[in-house]
Amino acid sequence: MVVGDVTTGTEVLVIGAGPGGYVAAIRAAQEGLDTTLVEKDAYGGACLNRGCIPSKALITGSGLAHEAGNAEFMGVHADPAVDMGKMVEWKDGVVDRLTGGVEKLCKANGVNLIEGTASFVGEDTVRVAHGGDGQGSETLSFEHAIVSTGSRPIQIPGFEFAEDHVWSSADALDADTVPDRLGIVGGGYIGMELATTYAKLGADVTVVEMLDDILDPYEDDVKRVVRERAAELGVEFQFGEGASEWAEAPDGGYLLHTETEDGEESTYGVDKILVAVGRQPVTDGLDLENAGIETDDRGFIETDDRTRTAVEHIHAVGDVAGDPMLAHAASNEGIVAAEVIAGEPAALDRQAVPAAVFTDPEIGTVGMTEAEAEDAGFDPVVGEMPFNASGRAMTTGHTEGFARIVADEETGFVLGGQIVGPEASELIAEVALAIEMGATLEDVAATVHTHPTLAEAVMEAAENARGQAIHTLNR
Amino acid sequence: MTVEEFKLPDVGEGVAEGELVSWLVAPGDRVEEDQPVAEVETDKALVEVPSSYDGVVEELFAEEGEMVPVGDVIISFRVDEDGDAEATAGDDAGTEAEPEPESADEPASEPVTEEPDAEPDTPSGRTFAPPSARRLARELGVDVAAVEGSGPGGRVSESDVRAHAEGDAGSADAGGADDAPEPRPAPTPTDTGSDDRKAAVSKRNGDDATASAGAAAGGPEPAGRDTTLATPATRKAARERGVDLDDVPTDETRDGEAFVTAEAVNAYADALESTAEPAPEPEPVDLDAGEAAATPADAAATAGVSATDASGSGDETVPYRGVRRTIGKQMERSKYTAPHVTHHDTAEVDALVEARAELKPKAEASDVKLTYMPFVMKAIVAGLKEYPYLNSELREDDEEIVLKGEYNLGIAVATDAGLMVPVVEDVDEKGLFELADEVNDLAARARERKLKPDEMNGGTFSITNFGAIGGEYATPIINYPETAILGLGAIEERPVVRERDGASEVVPAPTLPLSLSIDHRVVDGAVAAEFANAVMEHLENPLLLLNE
Repeated sequence: MVVGDVTTGTEVLVIGAGPGGYVAAIRAAQEGLDTTLVEKDAYGGACLNRGCIPSKALITGSGLAHEAGNAEFMGVHADPAVDMGKMVEWKDGVVDRLTGGVEKLCKANGVNLIEGTASFVGEDTVRVAHGGDGQGSETLSFEHAIVSTGSRPIQIPGFEFAEDHVWSSADALDADTVPDRLGIVGGGYIGMELATTYAKLGADVTVVEMLDDILDPYEDDVKRVVRERAAELGVEFQFGEGASEWAEAPDGGYLLHTETEDGEESTYGVDKILVAVGRQPVTDGLDLENAGIETDDRGFIETDDRTRTAVEHIHAVGDVAGDPMLAHAASNEGIVAAEVIAGEPAALDRQAVPAAVFTDPEIGTVGMTEAEAEDAGFDPVVGEMPFNASGRAMTTGHTEGFARIVADEETGFVLGGQIVGPEASELIAEVALAIEMGATLEDVAATVHTHPTLAEAVMEAAENARGQAIHTLNR
Repeated sequence: MTVEEFKLPDVGEGVAEGELVSWLVAPGDRVEEDQPVAEVETDKALVEVPSSYDGVVEELFAEEGEMVPVGDVIISFRVDEDGDAEATAGDDAGTEAEPEPESADEPASEPVTEEPDAEPDTPSGRTFAPPSARRLARELGVDVAAVEGSGPGGRVSESDVRAHAEGDAGSADAGGADDAPEPRPAPTPTDTGSDDRKAAVSKRNGDDATASAGAAAGGPEPAGRDTTLATPATRKAARERGVDLDDVPTDETRDGEAFVTAEAVNAYADALESTAEPAPEPEPVDLDAGEAAATPADAAATAGVSATDASGSGDETVPYRGVRRTIGKQMERSKYTAPHVTHHDTAEVDALVEARAELKPKAEASDVKLTYMPFVMKAIVAGLKEYPYLNSELREDDEEIVLKGEYNLGIAVATDAGLMVPVVEDVDEKGLFELADEVNDLAARARERKLKPDEMNGGTFSITNFGAIGGEYATPIINYPETAILGLGAIEERPVVRERDGASEVVPAPTLPLSLSIDHRVVDGAVAAEFANAVMEHLENPLLLLNE
């Protein structure tokens, strides 16, 4: 202990106030535990400040502008002008309200908030260095800890982030102007969401992807819908190419050099380069080894079904604990961690974690694909409903995509769903509930759905899987 | 009128479970608050469990001989608000004439909050049960993957989990496709549950027949005991594997009762599965005693499959619980708290041997079996009077040492279940024969595990007579928070050096090796040695004991 340190104790120490950490802290406090939440940067973590929320704000703004300017077919004529600075300002307002809300919620639930950077000095002690020079530090002892330090964008060699030319996803969400030409390295979900956004805002977007398609983990027919729509919006795809280096161009822009596996080189003239090749866990500075915790070869902290690390009274939740690196998974894990600490019979027994990609159209998936169900030993049966057969979809002007449901043929249990189409991120919630509840195809098909809604597509898909669809041809 | 459930209360510090030794009431009996309803043996003692209610016993949920985790419902009472309890009791008499070991007769809307007896693993595969049911399963310590679901496609509901936890297959749709999938209302204590119950009983009889047939076709023979001791985890394993614990062969016993391990259950279930298809339905407990008695009892003694043989692995896991764990904790606390020093010396006890030989016939005449122990106890008291710090307790938090005014000597007794230390009180006030009687009685009851908790409390100094089994010296661990313990080696003839005719010679003489452990925080080595000298003086000159 450093001389001058103040030592205080807490029952539950939560490190990192993202969607895993703040949720854990609030639930722990609700359980009557003396809870302290340490945050070094901003309440709400990457999700609220640099991820989910700001990106959705810009996706909505850019989508609205694009819609308005492309609705002649329904008799709407407009030529919207986008004030990027104003849009970002509005987005910041949303973020401020949410992060302020998180802080208020924590305080209202009796969570002690400490601003600073925590590092372990032992199995039951951390030192928290307060921000800025000369702010000092304090030593905190704890009975239980929850590590929820999240993740950050991966940098690739030669493409260190620098706001004026090499953007991280965070930079792309804070830009005050729309670049004329945007080169995006990485065709994953972050790259594709931002590609769609900037294409709609008027940028010429080129996506460079090492693999031969976008959105690697998704099924081909799901990818195709998004890829074709992105191409319609003017996004250029360069598959099988990896970014090798960049250089300043004589015209004031930059040259993005790429290389194929065979050594074939290409160069693209761009004004900004966005690198979106994934996220990595944040554990540096935590001194986990002082607590006896190791990370795996990808840097994640391994945890068990009670979110416990190898050191039982220290839990890890969210991105830092590995896949799925999703905010809602982190929150779920945070609640489990807090309840386990409180002695409740909680465990990570979720059957499926839904995921959404906010491209145009959106993707929503949960549970198993048909192939995964087969691999898991089920005899899957699949039903689909294309949105071009949905009355509601037609009235929105968006009929791309489909809703698909995967079930076990023998028992009828719903195993998974893949939806690509309008509002897929919302529609997937019903399938998630069905999976979690152990509902059968019949349960979903026999549940009356509002007409006319997009959600009817889920019901229709379930009927289709049973060979009883009314609005589609049964297969 | 309401039905109240009563859970096995926490009857002592750190007690996780207890064996339900005997029921003192039967269904239909009227009980008053605080009236004892059951005898439960926990850790080291037999305790009576008092009722919390005035009312009529509705149902017993545990069998005699069963290990019951603290917090499990063991009995339910109908608590009369309008005084018609007796009349209602008569209505259900048909189904309650004999104790039902377990039952699903419990309103689904009234969750039982039981302590989990173990942390159930989270199933890795898909589980077709809603989150609420999965959480309940964890709460009740049930592996949700082992629960038979009654919903469409076998979906597991909360009531399925509850039924499984209670070991009742009756509410689970065990029949498969033949049974009409029509919804069946959950039975409640006041409805016509008796019909449901009977249906379940006859169904199970059928299952039993199947199982027996399977066994007859070459499977392992069911042991068919009346009672079997097992840990809750083992009982859970038995439920999951569909094995009746009483049928699992075992060589192990606890307190004279057959004791079955999880390995034995699995080995037996494996053997059953390999010979009988399909496997028997889960059959947690015998429904009635008559049925169990009908199973050939002699099969028990000769049943062949032993736990270790069949499991194929050399290791055997034995639960660290109950008495074993209590001993462990106590030893750990003592050894890690009190810095032990052990002083060794040897008393030459020719005179003591003679004295005892002289007194023995007299004792026998009074029906007393006189050992050396009473002499040693009196000698110790003599020493303690001279060196009161050996008869003390350090209360560190209060910064004081309490020199005890009483001479209560704990006598370590080895029992099948582990070490017990009953206490003989006021040794200074009792005669040799009286002490002999009391020691014999306490030791006998310790071996039968019939000691009451207060008979093991209040000791001020302890004796461990390992010499009864063999050996000379040991390093005994103090019975914390006492300050000292004296270990006795075997009294045997050993070579000693004595003077005869002005010359030293080695001669055989009966000696008693002594091992005195002290808490060095309280007593220094010199005092320990002086105390040992005083005790030896009295042992070597038993006439001095007349003074005590």
